[in-house]
Formats: sequence, structure tokens, C-alpha cells
Amino acid sequence: MIEALQQTGFRNVRVCNFFNSFSGTTKEGVARKYGVQGANFVAYKAG
Amino acid sequence: MSVMCPIDLDREKLKSEVRTIYAKVAENPQGDFHFHRGPEYAARLLGYDLVELDALPRIATAPFAGVGNPFMMEALPSGGTVIDIGSGAGMDCLLAAKRVGLQGRVVGIDMTDAMLARARLGAAEAKLPQARFEKADMTELPLDSGTVDVVISNGVINLAPEKQKVFNELFRVVKPGGRLQFADIIVGTELSEDARNNIDLWTG
Repeated sequence: MIEALQQTGFRNVRVCNFFNSFSGTTKEGVARKYGVQGANFVAYKAG
Repeated sequence: MSVMCPIDLDREKLKSEVRTIYAKVAENPQGDFHFHRGPEYAARLLGYDLVELDALPRIATAPFAGVGNPFMMEALPSGGTVIDIGSGAGMDCLLAAKRVGLQGRVVGIDMTDAMLARARLGAAEAKLPQARFEKADMTELPLDSGTVDVVISNGVINLAPEKQKVFNELFRVVKPGGRLQFADIIVGTELSEDARNNIDLWTG
């Protein structure tokens, strides 16, 4: 995701926060197996 | 997950499956799904303010199925233009509308009719005329180039089979000096080809 955004032309792309979005769901095991989490991203377009 | 769509994945079938699932969420937010929904989940796991969410119409908050919190990053500009990619029933749009104020503009983009209907009703009930909702594919936004201050989104871009097209389109509509601040899924391991081709894993 980060590389793709940078290649598109966005700058200062970074992940800001992580979330256990699937905690307590029936997909919690799959999420743990593949390391799936929610995350906040920010990316800027040069001005 | 790689931004390149797996060779054998039917893109239109994936879009149809996504539309079907989220139509079901819109019609019955309390139904049996593999992911969390609603304002209580948003507050408990994603850091939203439950008092603020409880002040919004339930028609907009009950189907919320985001995976993060775009409002944790920079404050939205008063009077600014914000778009929400995959706005669903509109919860994040209504929060954005309160932040940009009556002089601002919020455009929710979604492809699911049932979600759009809820979002429009929610904005009317909340008396937030600066929020409007458009039916569109996120690879073809009904917006002029360079007109958007901030793009938000919450757990949606990961559902797009052609993410580079989405990113290119977002770059087009964002103003110079504008930004993206969105939430989405990240995957910690390289997925097998079988996993990449499994639509059930894409749609949750």
C-alpha cells in the first residue's frame, strides 16, 4: 500500500495507528494467521 | 495484500459479492457477519467517541463496518472539501460534516444502493446539508480534478481489485497540498495464490 501510494506521487506516506479490528469475530483466527490488522494511513500531495 | 489483482480473480464477481454483502449489512445491521459493526464497536476497538456517535442517527451508525479511525490523524479543515471513499451508511461522512461546518462540503462515494439510501436519510435527520452522497465506482470519481482537501476512507480500498486505479484517481482529485487520511486492512504475510483468489477472504 505504502509503495503503491508513493509510486502514484503521494509523499510522506506512513502508517499512524494499528487496530485489532477482527478481535472477537469469527475471522479472528484467520486474521491472526495472516497478520491482518486495521491501520490508519496518511499520504500527502505536494503543494 | 499486493495491489496487483490475482490473475484468475473475476473482478466483476468480486465487486458483485462486495455489493451483495454490504447491501445485506445495510438492510440488517444486526445480521450474522464475520466482522464487527456499529457505534459500540467503533468506540471499543477503534477509538471513536461513543457520546459523539450516539448523537448521530442510528440509521447511519448501526451498519458502520470500518477497520480504523480516520479522525485520529490531522483535524479536518473548517470550510474544506472532504470525500469519503466507500461511505457506506454515512457515519464517517456525518462526523466529517460536523468538522468542516456548513461552509464545507463532504461527498460520500459508494456503489451500494441500500447504503446510499441510509446515508441520505441520516444526513437529513442530522440536519447536515453539507454532506451529500453519490453512487460511483472509486476508480471513476464524479469530481473535478484538484478539488478535494482531504480524502477519508475506512476499510474500503482493500476491497478494490485494481487499487492502482483507485490511487491514481485519488491523486487526480486531491488538491496540491491536500492529503489522504484513511484506514484500511494491512496483511502481515505474503498471501498464497489460493488465498489471493479466494473471494471469501476478500469480502470477509
